[in-house]
Amino acid sequence: MKNDEIVLRIENLKKLFPAERKMFGKVKLFVHAVDGVSYEIRKGESLALVGESGCGKTTTGKILVGLYEPTSGRVIIEGEDVTPYLFENQKRAEQYLKEQYLNKFKDPSNIDDDFDREMYELYEKLGKSDAKFMDHFLKNRKRKMIEIRRKVQMIFQDPYESLNPRMTIFDIVAEPLNIHDIGTAKEREEKVAALLEEVGLTPAETFMFRFPHELSGGQRQRVAIARALILNPSFVVADEPTSMLDVSIRTGIMKLMMRLAQEHGMSYLYITHDLAVARYMANKIVVMYLGKIVEMGEIEEVLHHPLHPYTKALLAAIPVPDPEYNRGEPEIKGSVAKPINPPPRCRFYDRCPIATKECENLPHPNLVEVSKDHWVACHVVVGNVKK
Amino acid sequence: MGREVLKVENLKMWYKTKMGYVRAVDGISFSLKEGESLGIVGESGCGKTSVSMTILRLLPENAEFKEGHIFFDDGNGPIDLVSLPEDEMRKYRWKGISMIFQAAMNSLNPVYRVGDQIVEAMLNHFPEMSIDEAREKVAWLFQLVGLDPKRMDQYPHQYSGGMKQRAIIAMALSCDPKLIIADEPTTALDVIVQDRILKEMKKIQQKLNMAMIYISHDIAVIAEVSDKIAVMYAGKFVEFADSVTIFKKPKHPYTYGLMHAFPSVVGPKTELTTIPGEPPNLLNPPKGCRFAPRCPLATDECWEKEPEYREIEPGHWIACHHPLEAGKEVKFDEK
Repeated sequence: MKNDEIVLRIENLKKLFPAERKMFGKVKLFVHAVDGVSYEIRKGESLALVGESGCGKTTTGKILVGLYEPTSGRVIIEGEDVTPYLFENQKRAEQYLKEQYLNKFKDPSNIDDDFDREMYELYEKLGKSDAKFMDHFLKNRKRKMIEIRRKVQMIFQDPYESLNPRMTIFDIVAEPLNIHDIGTAKEREEKVAALLEEVGLTPAETFMFRFPHELSGGQRQRVAIARALILNPSFVVADEPTSMLDVSIRTGIMKLMMRLAQEHGMSYLYITHDLAVARYMANKIVVMYLGKIVEMGEIEEVLHHPLHPYTKALLAAIPVPDPEYNRGEPEIKGSVAKPINPPPRCRFYDRCPIATKECENLPHPNLVEVSKDHWVACHVVVGNVKK
Repeated sequence: MGREVLKVENLKMWYKTKMGYVRAVDGISFSLKEGESLGIVGESGCGKTSVSMTILRLLPENAEFKEGHIFFDDGNGPIDLVSLPEDEMRKYRWKGISMIFQAAMNSLNPVYRVGDQIVEAMLNHFPEMSIDEAREKVAWLFQLVGLDPKRMDQYPHQYSGGMKQRAIIAMALSCDPKLIIADEPTTALDVIVQDRILKEMKKIQQKLNMAMIYISHDIAVIAEVSDKIAVMYAGKFVEFADSVTIFKKPKHPYTYGLMHAFPSVVGPKTELTTIPGEPPNLLNPPKGCRFAPRCPLATDECWEKEPEYREIEPGHWIACHHPLEAGKEVKFDEK
């Protein structure tokens, strides 16, 4: 089955945060933090999510590990729709299943998507019963919610805040095993020791019973990596894992993460603001601006032939470690605004150096595949409007 | 080029702790001329911020000034700042040497208008100045740093991060300093904003012919703005030269390692270097060369004898027993 090769697929993911507090009445202003984002990660691939602060890259990652609930959209992990398990509230999950599938299944000719078709087969197998279909997803929902968290792990930015200071390194790394009830005490100890050695904390015995404050930043980040890997996740959301580390330590962590991905057959969703780091950590890139994807594709292709004016500006703004290199002027106006109830036109319109009059009245552009696996969302670049 | 604005000789400043002395600044010498910019690059804890704090004498209580001289020349002949009593020193701070701190944008007072805060600082140093004169100058400074002078009467919360940083730069320039020390001036900012601020600072520095010291962990940022670069490691300068030499012909293995540890978005994707181990504890630094435990070229001599900081080519200083030959690669033992 084709879907097997896809580790993660996100479809039209949205997350709105209320931008005002009201005692009575409905909240009308929303921050559109993630606004209709779709992408997929295939087996063996890693994807870098880049953009400036406030573009929604961390929010996307947090939705995937279950720290935020999505407002709408679908998340498929290893061929399974996990969206019903991302909601804390069972009612929301029921509502989702109704809207996403059951309403559509009333008229099967509406189905135009491979995954929906698969779901329809399941629906037929269950005797076309809405209740059974619901039950299929919602039975043992709590257990499945935990199961999802096993498949998706996260490494956070700040290793000084992400490790409990009152737990030993052994307890920190073994905690996921305890929660998911995997292995006997002895097996757990062996597994933790082996993993600590693997992430370069050797010999493991000297680290196991120390506390986080006894370790340096780089060593702590290694502990965080070990904790993320101990459950053999399908993919790891890494939110700027090296941005707090010193240069000479940083490359060590980057190389370690690359090696582990290969050895464990695991993918990263690597969230970063640093395009240079992204280049080393991923083979695909998604560039976000104010909750929307503006450009995505194979990373060397996008970095060498950027098409979207925002990607171009980002690239031109990055300092290059070479005093003789002249990188020119980034062409971009103004500064980032908060996407609170944004107008329907292109999100980048106000800052765009190549915007035309027509851009103002057109809706936000869709992503278009301009060359093989290189997608861009810009009316001017894809030729919807004349330059 | 012009006169020497700053000349630092064998500067030593240690922090006293319960466990002993932390040798944060341990024998540093350099000089800086008018219109020149120096970048100090190093990892966290190497003492780069302590150098600037020592020059300005903004030290915490447990800091102990050990020895050295800081000659500062604002046009009236060099004066050793070390010999000045505190109330004399105060006259030089801000007026002679000003500073842009790390995360300075958080240092604006939220309940005063931004313009008024700068005016207040100026009136403190120029008591004879009238408020109108001061406001006029602030308006001029705002234009210089790329802010709309109308924003003088706004409060800090109405500014974006980049705008606050610009206001801080305007404030640092307000008393016509001869030297500005910028400590990680753009670290908290997004790349596009960072790019604008760095270009602005470079432009202003050249226009006003000031001396400038940039302090950063980011080699790429330092490469953009500095004429000269000092690489600092464990409380000492290990290499000092003009920026092209540092980047093209580094002689110290640590500099080499740092250069090759930085990923770049341009050019071919090259292998990145990892420097094994971690910087030494400055409570008890290694006896010989402080980089020896991490250095692939270290010999017995390096472990025993501290290398002398010497000028091996005109303008190129280095502290290493085994300087690299041009074009030679260093292979770090990676684990």
